[in-house]
Amino acid sequence: MEESVTVTVPSHPKYLSVIRAVTVRMAQLHEMPERVIDDIKLAVDEACSNVIKHAYKGETCRKITMTYTIKRGAFAVSIDDNGTKLTIEKMKGRSLDDVRPGGLGVHFIRRVFDVVELDDRKRRGNRLILIKYTGNK
Amino acid sequence: MTIEFVNYKGKKVIALSGDIDMYSSPDLRKELMALIKKKASSLLIDFTSVSYIDSSGIATFVESLKYMKSYGGRLRLFCLPGRIVEIFRFSKLDRVFEIYGSIDDAIEG
Repeated sequence: MEESVTVTVPSHPKYLSVIRAVTVRMAQLHEMPERVIDDIKLAVDEACSNVIKHAYKGETCRKITMTYTIKRGAFAVSIDDNGTKLTIEKMKGRSLDDVRPGGLGVHFIRRVFDVVELDDRKRRGNRLILIKYTGNK
Repeated sequence: MTIEFVNYKGKKVIALSGDIDMYSSPDLRKELMALIKKKASSLLIDFTSVSYIDSSGIATFVESLKYMKSYGGRLRLFCLPGRIVEIFRFSKLDRVFEIYGSIDDAIEG
């Protein structure tokens, strides 16, 4: 059975704590290990921070919508915004050997999620699709 | 996140608590940069009560470290929860930061 929960928050950084709390609860409902839940929490936080910084360029009154889908063998999060179009090339991050501020968020996203894709069917804004395969029945 | 200045054996310690994220890290940056502008020779940061850090929090420390290194200052972090040590390790930043297990080790380090 597939179940989805959708949450929309304003694009203000103060709501990142709400995003983290919801993300943790959804991952707990999927009975994921605590360590993986921590990684997912960080990854979704980073993805939403990227929306605020890059898609909305710091505007705090726009909307970010997360849809969490729990299905057999996978935990998926899609993150929608209506901001500036982003490309997957822009989501490469810096080399981990190049020590400087910034550029780590993408690494945190990619290290836990098996699929990290921008849905190019979305015409306005962006939809980032994150999928973690879990093996849960 | 809260930032407290604590005296320990005559040393000024910055004790952080709560979540360091994109919302709170600008406040932390402001406090650290105020000290760095005064060329603080040493900053001791207590992570005991830090529950979470994201890339913007890490960037704040990387920036501080770079500034401090430029004038020979030292930034020492101690009592990082295991989860946060793991994030520093994954980012290969455990190689560039001075990370200690206790406040006394940080002072003596």
